[in-house]
Amino acid sequence: MPRLEPRGDLRPIPACAGIGFRAVHQQALAAERPAIGWIEAHTENYFHDGGPAARGLERVRANYPLSLHGVGLGLGSAEGVDRGHLAKVKRAIVRFEPALVSEHACWGHAGGEVFNGLLPLPYTDEAVELLARQVGEAQDFLGIRLLIENVSAYVTFEHSHLQEWEFLAAVAGISGCGLLLDVNNVYVSSQNLGLDALAFIDGLPPDRVGEIHVAGHARNGSVLIDDHGSQVSEAVWQLYRHAVSRFGALPTLIEWDTNIPALGTLVAESRRADLILGEVRGLAA
Amino acid sequence: MASLREMQGAFAAALRDPSAVCAVMPADNLSIYRNNTAITFRSSLEGTFPVVRRRVGDDYFRQLGAQYRARFPSRSGDLHWIGRDFPAFLLEHLHGTEYVWLADLARLEWAREQASIARIEPAVATDVLGRFAPAQLERLVFTLQPSLSLVASDFPVFTVWAGNQAENAPPVNQSLPGECGMVRARIDALEVRSLEPRLFSYLSALSAGAPLVDAIGTAGLDQAGLVNALGFVFTEGLVCSVQETGT
Repeated sequence: MPRLEPRGDLRPIPACAGIGFRAVHQQALAAERPAIGWIEAHTENYFHDGGPAARGLERVRANYPLSLHGVGLGLGSAEGVDRGHLAKVKRAIVRFEPALVSEHACWGHAGGEVFNGLLPLPYTDEAVELLARQVGEAQDFLGIRLLIENVSAYVTFEHSHLQEWEFLAAVAGISGCGLLLDVNNVYVSSQNLGLDALAFIDGLPPDRVGEIHVAGHARNGSVLIDDHGSQVSEAVWQLYRHAVSRFGALPTLIEWDTNIPALGTLVAESRRADLILGEVRGLAA
Repeated sequence: MASLREMQGAFAAALRDPSAVCAVMPADNLSIYRNNTAITFRSSLEGTFPVVRRRVGDDYFRQLGAQYRARFPSRSGDLHWIGRDFPAFLLEHLHGTEYVWLADLARLEWAREQASIARIEPAVATDVLGRFAPAQLERLVFTLQPSLSLVASDFPVFTVWAGNQAENAPPVNQSLPGECGMVRARIDALEVRSLEPRLFSYLSALSAGAPLVDAIGTAGLDQAGLVNALGFVFTEGLVCSVQETGT
């Protein structure tokens, strides 16, 4: 597979905690330079030539390794992938030189309408084949190995006959992509749909998981909503500990996209992930 | 078994219409996706058109947003483009009403949104004109900053925009004369300012690629006006390059 030619000073994502890059933290990140391992930015926010967002990322990018996380490709869309969108992802990769690039195991458009959301796939052989093919084509075009993330789910398709982890493992096996394990999404889906969260994590191929996300969620009646708007719950930290025990120390992102707190709060959450990573390293030593 | 395309088509139909059938469990939870996608669309629209929202109020803006989405659904995975057709939608939707000026206000806010993602090119100084012989000057064409947009309206939209930078601002007298002006990006801010009509005409002509002599003629500038207008485009850093027509 062709690869982008890395710049000489391109730094890999270390196996420690990072935080999502938000515009409101630009100045504090530049001025305070907190000791966080890396930052992750939403790819679609950096599609454009100019603007304060792109200039801010360029400044912060000089101080921290970068991961780009896409939310708009809809790689599982049966009507195909928007080649124009894919070309913009490539431009962002060439411009910002991320060490990791990720997207989601979801679909996002049908009948000419883009829903701008991470919509769930049925876990069927046809969906495995389509997602794996389109991930493979995207990887070839981008010249980089993608990490594909499990999405939080509120429904399951009646036609699904695979477990979600079997689906993800099959897609990774066929396309050669890596997996981004979102532990909060596993927890949210397991609570909403009655899945076994531990079986989910234990069912993923260890050699494919390259990054972990943790985030907060909200409760709306009996349903958990993946809103990324609060601290990581104790249940998710427990699941995270289990995931790290299984997969080893991996780059771990604190996702916090709504009700965004002060930078210090995000850094404190990242310390908690680092502590767990440190404990697992200690046990392994 | 239904194909993947059929399943996604049914899911999409259920996002648009709560009564549509989709083979998922629990079906009631489809409302979460329906709400999430609607909120994402509306939030993006609110972010692009904050002054329109302030003038019409939250409830009516939500109604407008829902009608706009039904007519102009998102076509891109990049949320930036969601508001692209909103000015045209408002023009059509409010045609013949006393609120049609909101379409021009939306046009001004969309210009601001576009400026927010545009490149800022290095500007050239007035002394660039010294590279040309006097006989060449009137044939010069200027390339202006990519972020520059020019907006003209029969309504006082620049005054409305400036007067509604905070919530609950008092309404602006709509019987004020129409206004024209420009929107452009500076390094640390977006600039929205009204312009004197002849300066606006001159800038519009230059922006369209007209030679200097044509821009002067279009704007009806006399010698003093020309000096002021030339001074304006250079001191404001609007000129990225200068070349003679046909070169």
